[in-house]
Amino acid sequence: MLDNILDFLTSAESLLFLVFAMVVISGAILMLSYTKVVHMVVALAFTFLGLAALYVMLDAEFVAFVQVLIYAGAVSILMIFGIMMTRHDKQEEEPRRPWHNGLLLGGSVALFGILFFAIQSANFESGTLDAGVDNTKAIGEQLFTRHVIPFELMSVLLTVTFIGAIILAKREED
Amino acid sequence: MDNIANSYFLLAAILFCVGLYGALSKRNAVIVLLSVELMLNAVNLNLIAFAKYGPVPSITGQIFSLFTITVAAAEAAIGIAILIALYRNKGTTDVLEMNAMKK
Amino acid sequence: MEFTHYAWLIPVFPLLAFLVLTALGRQMKGIATGFSILAAAAAFIMAVLVFTERLGENVVDYTWDGFKWIGIGDFAIQMGYEVNNLNTLMLVIVTLVSLLVNVYSLGYMKDDERINTFFAYVSLFTFSMLGLVLSINLVQFFIFWELVGVCSFLLVGFWYTKPAARAAAKKAFIVTRIGDVGLFIGMLLLFWNMPGNSLEFSAIHNAAHTGALSANVITAAAILVFIGAVGKSGQFPLHTWLPDAMEGPTPISALIHAATMVAAGVYLVARTFPLFEESQAALTTVAIVGGFTAIFAATIALAQNDIKRILAYSTVSQLGYMMLAMGIGTMSSYTAGMFHLYTHAFFKALLFLGAGSVIHAVNEQDIRKMGGLGSKMKITMITFAIGTLALSGIVPFAGFWSKDAILTEAYHNVPVLFWVALVAAFFTALYMARLFFLVFTGKPRSDMHPHESPAVMTLPLLVLAVLAIIAGFVYFPGNAWFGEWLLGESPGEHADMTVMILSTVAGVGGLLIGWLLYGRRTFTEDWVEARALPAYQLLNRKYYIDELYDNGVVKPLRGIGYLLDWFDRYIVDGAVKVLSGVMTGTGRIGLRMQNGQLQAYGLIGVVGLLILIVAVVGRRYFHVG
Repeated sequence: MLDNILDFLTSAESLLFLVFAMVVISGAILMLSYTKVVHMVVALAFTFLGLAALYVMLDAEFVAFVQVLIYAGAVSILMIFGIMMTRHDKQEEEPRRPWHNGLLLGGSVALFGILFFAIQSANFESGTLDAGVDNTKAIGEQLFTRHVIPFELMSVLLTVTFIGAIILAKREED
Repeated sequence: MDNIANSYFLLAAILFCVGLYGALSKRNAVIVLLSVELMLNAVNLNLIAFAKYGPVPSITGQIFSLFTITVAAAEAAIGIAILIALYRNKGTTDVLEMNAMKK
Repeated sequence: MEFTHYAWLIPVFPLLAFLVLTALGRQMKGIATGFSILAAAAAFIMAVLVFTERLGENVVDYTWDGFKWIGIGDFAIQMGYEVNNLNTLMLVIVTLVSLLVNVYSLGYMKDDERINTFFAYVSLFTFSMLGLVLSINLVQFFIFWELVGVCSFLLVGFWYTKPAARAAAKKAFIVTRIGDVGLFIGMLLLFWNMPGNSLEFSAIHNAAHTGALSANVITAAAILVFIGAVGKSGQFPLHTWLPDAMEGPTPISALIHAATMVAAGVYLVARTFPLFEESQAALTTVAIVGGFTAIFAATIALAQNDIKRILAYSTVSQLGYMMLAMGIGTMSSYTAGMFHLYTHAFFKALLFLGAGSVIHAVNEQDIRKMGGLGSKMKITMITFAIGTLALSGIVPFAGFWSKDAILTEAYHNVPVLFWVALVAAFFTALYMARLFFLVFTGKPRSDMHPHESPAVMTLPLLVLAVLAIIAGFVYFPGNAWFGEWLLGESPGEHADMTVMILSTVAGVGGLLIGWLLYGRRTFTEDWVEARALPAYQLLNRKYYIDELYDNGVVKPLRGIGYLLDWFDRYIVDGAVKVLSGVMTGTGRIGLRMQNGQLQAYGLIGVVGLLILIVAVVGRRYFHVG
C-alpha cells in the first residue's frame, strides 16, 4: 500500500494529476461552501480550468481547448450574466430543510461509496490510445466522416437553442 | 490494474457526487444550473479517461464529449433564459418557491 | 274456425290495453277507459267462443308450446298455452268478472285523477291472471303468478297517499311472498325429481299417476305447492293480508276476491291435483287447513264492523271451503271445489260491487253507522240480497248447489269436515244477515244522504245477480253436466237429502237468527257485545292473529334487523372506514411528497436509485459471493 503511494508520488504524471485533481475538487467544494453567488461561479471556473488541464494529460488537447473556450469562457460568463440580471439581495440563507439536506448528504456519500466500490472492484483491461500526432486533425476526420450526422444535428440543436433562448428571455410586452 | 486510470474515474465520481449534492441542495437557481454543469463535466472526464485507458481505446470518446459539451452549453443557455423569464414573473430565483408543479 | 287455437289472443287483449293506457299516461281519459273496456269485452267474447267450442262432442285438449324460452343443453323450458276444460272455465270467469269490474269502475273511479293508471293496472291484472290460467308449465305459471302478486300490490296500494293503503300493499306482497317461496321450493323439488326435469303440467300428471315419483317426493312437492296456494288464497295462517287488502279501491277487491288473485291458489291446487291425489298426507293437510280456515274466518266475520272486511273474511272462509273440497280428494269433490269457485266468483263479485255501491253512496265503511239504505238504493239492495242468499246457501241460488256439492262429499267421505263446514255455513248465513240488515234496514244511524249509483255501476250488479241465481243450475242433483264436462267422465251421484236439509237448516237458521238480532232489533247490538264481551272481543280482534304475528315474527325480525344494521354500521362500515382511512393517510403522505419542489423529486429519485442498486447488486453479491 505504502509502496503504491510512493510509486504514485514519485511519478511525474501522478504528481501533475494530483495537483490538478486538487484544483478541481477544491473548486467544486468551494462552490458549495461560498455564500456569494459570484464567488461560486469563479470557483467553478477554476474547476473547469483544472479539468481542461486533465484533458490535456489524457491526450485530448482539442477537447481541453474546447473546455476552456466553452466552459471556462462561455458558460461561466453566461452564468454571471444570469446572476447580474436577477437580484440576489437575499443571500443564501441557513438551510431550512434539515431532513432534506441530511438525506441528500447521506445519499450522495452512499452513491460515491457505491461508485468507489464499483471502480475498485472493476477490472479494466486497459489499452493504449493511439491519439496520433495531430489530435485535432484526427477528431476532425472522424467528425466529418463517421459522425457527420450527429454533427449536423448539433448545428440544428444550437440554432434551436439560439432562437429558443431569445424568445424565452424576451420581454412579453413586445 | 492501472492506478492512474482508477484515479481519473474516482475523481469523476467525486465531482459527480458534489454536483449532485449542489444541484439538489442549493436554493439559488443559478447555482443549481452550475451544479448540473459540474455533473456534466464529471461525465466528460469519464468519457475522455475511458477514451485513453478504457478496454477499447478510441478517439470516439473525445468526440462524444465534444457533443456533450455542445449540448451542455445549449442547456445552460436555455436554463438561464428560462430563469430570467421566471424571475420576471415571480421576482425570485429561489427554487423553493418554484412549486407550480404542485397544482 | 278453431277458436281454441287462438286462445292466446285472450290475454293479449288486456295486455294491449295495458300498454296503450300506460302510453297515454293521464291524457284522453274517455278514450283510455273505453279502450280498456273494449279489450276486456274482446277477451270475454273470445273466451266465450272458446268455451262454446269446447262444449261440443269429442273435444281434445289443445297445447301449443312452440316458443323455446330457455335452452340449457338438452334441457329446455318451453312457453306456450294450453286449453282444456278446467282453464276454459277459468277464462270465462276471469274475463267476465274483469269486464264487469271494468264497466263498474267507470262509475266508481269517475272522479279519480289517476283513472287511466287504474284501468291500466286492472288490464295488467287481468292479463296476468289469464296468462297464469293458460300456462303450460310451472315456470311460466310462476312468472304470471308473481305478476298477479305485483298487480295486487299496485292496486291495493293504489291510493298510496293513505298510509294504511301503503301498509296493506306491502303486507299483501310480503305475506304472499312467504307462500311463493314454498311454491318455488316445490318447483325445484319437482325439477330435480321429475323424469327429464320436465315441469310441464301434463308431465307432472303423468309422473304422478305412473309412479315415476316416489311417494315422499310427491307428498313434499304437493305440500310445498299448497303453501304457495295458501299464501295466494289467503288460507290460515297466511290469511292476514286479504282483509287488509280492502284498503284498495272496491272494484279491485271484487276482482281480487272473485276472479283473479285468490282464485289463483285454488286453481294451482286444481292444476296440480294429480299430485295431491297420490298423497293422502297432502290431501289431509289441504282439507284440515281448508276446513279450519272456513270456520275460523267465518267466526271472525261475525264481529267485524267494516263492510268490506266482513266480505273479505267471508272470502277467506269460502276459499277454505274450496280447499276443503279439494282436500277430500275424490274426483267429485274436486269438481265440487271448482264448482264452488265458479259460483263464488259471481256472488262474491256481486257482493263486493254492491258494497262498493254503498260506499260510493255514503262514503262510509262502518256498518254500525249505516242503516235504512234500502229505501234509497233499491237496485243495490235487491242485488245485494240475492248475493247474500247465494252466499248463505239458500235454495235455489247458486251458492246452495255448490255448497251442497261440497257438503255431500264431506258427509260421505270425512264426516268431521262435514260438521265443520256446516257450522261454517251457519256462521256465514249469520254474518251475512247481520251485514245485510244493519246496512239496508232500520233507521239511519248517522247523518248521510245516500243515492242510487249510476247505471254503469248497477248494470254489472244486475248481470251478476242473474248469474248468482242461475249459475248453480249447471250442476245439481238431476243434472251432472258440469262435472261430466269438467272431468270428461261422470263424477258420480252427489245428491243426498239429509245434507240438503241440514244445509238449508243451517242457512235459514243463520239468516233467521241474524234477522232476529239485527233486523227486528229484538236484541240490540250492545246487548250482544255486553253479554259476550270476551268472545266478541276475541273475534273483533281477529283472534289476535295480527298481534301474534307482529309480536312473534315482525318484532323479533325487526330486532335482528336492528342488530344487523348496527353490525353493518359499526363493524362492516368500520372496517371499510379503517381501510379508507389508511388509504387516505397514505395518500396524504404521498401528497406531502408531491410538494412541487424539483429538488425533492430529485432527492427521491436518488434515494430510489440507491435502493435499486443495493437491491440488485446486493442480491447478486450475496448469492454468487
